[in-house]
Amino acid sequence: MRLPGHVHVVDDDASFRTAIERRLKLAGYQVATYPSAQQLLDSLPDDSEPGCILLDVHIPGLSGPELQGRLNELGLTLPIVFLTGHADTPTTVRTIKAGAEDFLTKPVESEQLLGAIERALARHATVRDERSRLGEVRALAAELTPRERQVFGLVVRGKLNKQIAHDLGTTERTIKAHRHQVMEKMKTRSLAELVTLAERLGMLD
Amino acid sequence: MVRICGWIIGLLALLAPICVSAQPARPHSILVLDQSDLRGPFHYQLWSGLRGVLDARAGVRVTIYGENLDLPRFGGAAYTESLKRHLKEKYRDRPIDVIVAIGRGMLEHTLSWRAELWPDTPVVFAMLDESDLAKLERQTEVTGVILDNSLARAIKAARAVVPDLDTVALVGDAWERQALFSHWSEEIPVATSGLNVIDIIGQKMSDIRKRVAELPERSAIIYTGVFSDGEGTFYPAATAFGLIAETANRPIVVGAEPLLAMGGIGGYVLLATEIGTEAAKIALRILNGERAGDIPPVSGGVKPLFSWPQMQRWNVSESSLPEGSEIRFRDQTFLERYRWQSMAVVAALLLQAGLITFLLHERHLRRDAEVESRNRMSELAHVNRNATAGELSSSIAHELNQPLGSILTNAETAELILKSENPDLKEVREILADIKRDDQRAGEVIRRLRAFLKRTPFETREIDLNEIMNEAFKFLSVQASGRNVALYLQTAPGELRINGDPIQLQQVILNLVVNSMDAMSTIPYGRTVIGRTELNGGSAVEISISDSGPGIPSDKLSQVFDPFFTTKDQGMGIGLSIARSIILAHKGNIWAENQTGGGATFHFTLPLAA
Repeated sequence: MRLPGHVHVVDDDASFRTAIERRLKLAGYQVATYPSAQQLLDSLPDDSEPGCILLDVHIPGLSGPELQGRLNELGLTLPIVFLTGHADTPTTVRTIKAGAEDFLTKPVESEQLLGAIERALARHATVRDERSRLGEVRALAAELTPRERQVFGLVVRGKLNKQIAHDLGTTERTIKAHRHQVMEKMKTRSLAELVTLAERLGMLD
Repeated sequence: MVRICGWIIGLLALLAPICVSAQPARPHSILVLDQSDLRGPFHYQLWSGLRGVLDARAGVRVTIYGENLDLPRFGGAAYTESLKRHLKEKYRDRPIDVIVAIGRGMLEHTLSWRAELWPDTPVVFAMLDESDLAKLERQTEVTGVILDNSLARAIKAARAVVPDLDTVALVGDAWERQALFSHWSEEIPVATSGLNVIDIIGQKMSDIRKRVAELPERSAIIYTGVFSDGEGTFYPAATAFGLIAETANRPIVVGAEPLLAMGGIGGYVLLATEIGTEAAKIALRILNGERAGDIPPVSGGVKPLFSWPQMQRWNVSESSLPEGSEIRFRDQTFLERYRWQSMAVVAALLLQAGLITFLLHERHLRRDAEVESRNRMSELAHVNRNATAGELSSSIAHELNQPLGSILTNAETAELILKSENPDLKEVREILADIKRDDQRAGEVIRRLRAFLKRTPFETREIDLNEIMNEAFKFLSVQASGRNVALYLQTAPGELRINGDPIQLQQVILNLVVNSMDAMSTIPYGRTVIGRTELNGGSAVEISISDSGPGIPSDKLSQVFDPFFTTKDQGMGIGLSIARSIILAHKGNIWAENQTGGGATFHFTLPLAA
């Protein structure tokens, strides 16, 4: 079963837009079409929903790769699948480096196209999941007191309770209590789990 | 006494040349006695013949006295006696060296008067028939010009004029009154044997006119001379003849030259000028000291002469005339009349024709050369298009893959729809229509490509240059974005109608834009090509292609269009030279310049369609 999702098609060729819309709808996707890059920018899609962008390289005005750059600047997470009448190596490399999910050449078989879209949607789902889990962790971390946060930071760096107490100028017992509080609030049962959360929060950089 | 005088004169005559050489101033005298009336043209010609010879004699002055005694009209012993007296008185103190007597009658009188008036003076006769000469009493110091003037020859002339002649009409005054033809009366029986003779001799003018008007077929008139109407009126010879010729219904054979102009058909005619000339020559010889008796009489003064208008009238062919005949009054053809002018005109025409032929030939060669050069240019342009097409293969692929992509996707969609349990046939129909349209689109791309790559002769038609420019730029867009070049096009509003070969003009635009893109390959960013079309005055279109490259070195500006001139490592140097050839073939101009702000601009102009 395919992932549901919203496919945003940007192509100046009306005939191709119609054909691809038909095919994608038949495959069960929701489809929005844009004859130019500017039109997509004007009604920026919501990237919190599952979706991806199917983008032509050669379109009048803002070109495909240029749109890609603008969307990256805007922090839009929708993955981009490029689709072009002619793929030249410099353009392909440039777009892949800039984070394109795939680079396809017309005419493209449905199998290949749908595969690319599926991968893009899957990636988008992962990105979205990751982002929502991070939000949860951040919410938990926000519950910590300043002292607990200090203890958290030192614990995940592998310091012993005794060393932490010495660093903070308090007793080993107090540290033990804080440490317990941190484990409790962060809903973790092991030090390893705590380290993973800390890494995700960017505390180990 | 007479004899002594004769001797003395004979001696004088012998000494004459000596005297002439010793005393060139001493004048000679010639007395011309003419039996005829002085008013006719015959007389005038005779005199001019005489004078022509005598005047031409340089160094000796000759006095010529002339007497016209009008013997045909006046006669009788009393008259001749009075003439003798008159002449005797008149020339008493004028020594005469030579007497020229014209006419048989005149000669007879002269000889009878000589002993008394001019003893022993030599006599030169003229217009004397041979038979008359024989009849003359043998006299000394007489010589002259004999006429071969016979009726037989007149009949010969008549036969030449009327080949089936059976009748001759003899017209003239009474034979005894005739000065020149009286001896013919004796020749009639022999000369006219086998012919009917109609005698109209010595008739009244009115009768003559009547009778010559009703002559039978196969007849000819033989005219001798009429000087009076037989009722007391005398005519000049030509006038009388004119009256007769007016009513004559048959050709008239005549014996005197002036009558040819009056309506005579011709014959053996007396040439008065020649007779005068011959007589004068003899007279001169005598003046030069020869004895008249030693100079034999000469023949001459008769010639077969015919009148062309009369020959036409009587349908006489030139070949039937007697040998040696001369034809008078022949209509001069235009060419005869304007011989030199005609030759000049013909020469000019020939020269002109030659020149024109030469120029046409040159033009032909030039045409051939132009066609040849245009063909070569077309061939080279074709090679260049092939190369361009290779360079622009990405654009071509894109153009073609666009419809092919739609077709494949649509086909697969339709397949899926048809596989489903409840297929939406309406949608399948739409899909098929789309496939068909895209297929045609792909076909159109191929057709355009083939047209572009085909080797075609130069062929112009009315086209919109804006459209050509738009198509070329659209085609180049893929190439441009692949090479990171921003391509802009600004066209003049409306249509720009010109006469041109669309393929070749597209080629010019492609060559210029590709050239600009190549020129910018070394600059890292900001690669821009701007195309512009605009009206240049009311009669031309100007197209410009500007780039943001390094520009053209100023010393190379004039060379960029030269064949095989290139600044590119892999360039052949034909793109711009072909662009120029094509524009020149379109009667346009092409040039390159550097912009003040950097980059090069190529311009070309084309004349607007009328």
